[in-house]
Amino acid sequence: MSGGSARSLGKGSAPPGPVPEGLIRVYSMRFCPFAKRTLLVLKAKGIGHEVININLKNKPEWFFKKNPFGLVPVLENSQGQVIYESAITCEYLDEAYPGKKLLPDDPYEKACQKMVFELFSKVPPLLLSFLRRQNKEDCSGVKEELHKEFSKLEEVLTNKKTTFFGGSSLSMIDYLIWPWFEWLITLELNEYVDHTPNLKLWMEAMMKDPAVSSLFIDPKAFRGFLDLYLQNNLEACDYGL
Amino acid sequence: MTDDATRTLGKGSAPPGPVPEGLIRLYSMRFCPYAHRTRLVLQAKGIRHEVININLRNKPEWYFTKHPFGHIPVLENSKGQLIYESVIACEYLDDAYPGRKLYPYDCYERARQKMLLELFYKVPHLTKECLVTLRCGRGCADLKLALRQEFCNLEEILGYQNTIFFGGDCISMIDYLFWPWFERLDVYGIADCVNHTPALRLWIAAMKQDPTVCALLIDKNIFLGFLNLYFQNNPDAFDYGLSC
Repeated sequence: MSGGSARSLGKGSAPPGPVPEGLIRVYSMRFCPFAKRTLLVLKAKGIGHEVININLKNKPEWFFKKNPFGLVPVLENSQGQVIYESAITCEYLDEAYPGKKLLPDDPYEKACQKMVFELFSKVPPLLLSFLRRQNKEDCSGVKEELHKEFSKLEEVLTNKKTTFFGGSSLSMIDYLIWPWFEWLITLELNEYVDHTPNLKLWMEAMMKDPAVSSLFIDPKAFRGFLDLYLQNNLEACDYGL
Repeated sequence: MTDDATRTLGKGSAPPGPVPEGLIRLYSMRFCPYAHRTRLVLQAKGIRHEVININLRNKPEWYFTKHPFGHIPVLENSKGQLIYESVIACEYLDDAYPGRKLYPYDCYERARQKMLLELFYKVPHLTKECLVTLRCGRGCADLKLALRQEFCNLEEILGYQNTIFFGGDCISMIDYLFWPWFERLDVYGIADCVNHTPALRLWIAAMKQDPTVCALLIDKNIFLGFLNLYFQNNPDAFDYGLSC
């Protein structure tokens, strides 16, 4: 089961207590790709954590005190410090915890990862708009735009001549963009990377990563969640539990 | 006169050579707020640099080899490495160069500054829209209302923190990342948008005392001269105020 198999907390739920010493808490949702980024980093760095899932269709009032934007993921540590915005949470975890560094030490290499992250930024809204349209209007315009964005990423891999976006080993940028490519696999849209062979190879290499494979979503559960979520069903976030 | 007081390079210009050892190059434009961020960091950290101004209405062909869409700011070092997006460039400079650190050492405080930047994201677009609307002779009451709301959010942060600057009692990266748009409120004609935000006004006053901010302060008349020419679509706008 991916990222915390507990039922989500919704409106009227009691706010959770303080975070126990030695743990960090992540407010999440089992199918949220942004929260997935944080879960991947927690896993990859072996950071002891607890997950509280939030019902994003019926948010608890207390959650807005954690993040005024009311979005997941949010980190909360035992000092009561709160960090939100997925990329910021990931960078915080890499800096605050020991072990394998996911971001490079070299300032230029680190800047390159952030530039690739910017290059990727159109993919999440595009993919979401594609999913909203399926079976309704013609989505060939969105398909074409996705191809264009994937080609930009392909160019990065081609120029770098490495398997991963940060070099020959997996690093932060790979985890940051992975959740949307996981969607392609769970929704059987692999043909979208047919024209981008290096991207295809990258996806195959990512699937072999222990953090990625241990957090891989069950395709049936994801499909079930997506159908309910797009209908604004309050039970969507807990599908499959 | 600041060190970026050079004429812009436009279409047909020869590409500049490699960056000399010991220097970093900034591709910029004297009135661009995003490039202003990077110039503030270069100044604050005392980093030796050279500036090449780009004519944004008549971009040199070679400039697209520096940035795929011809945007500024772009940093180029003597190894030929290119860094762009203003925030990424500022962080790179803070990481790569010694001396005064503009981002805090504590990783939670660093994360806080990055979260504050998210709170700011509507301000550049709104201030620009106000400017364009006013220059076209239209009213911008709705836009100003929206901008005031954003300023209220920032005011709340200063109130909650009870500090002068956004990062604490001393000026730091986040203040420099916000500053360019506040410097432009007056010349854009929307200085009254901070009428109801006293902590923000105190912050503006404190920023104007900062040596780095002062060193790069753009003369109001020159800025107005640039804006007049810019809105007349005059390609010489970007060089306004340069002697000869």
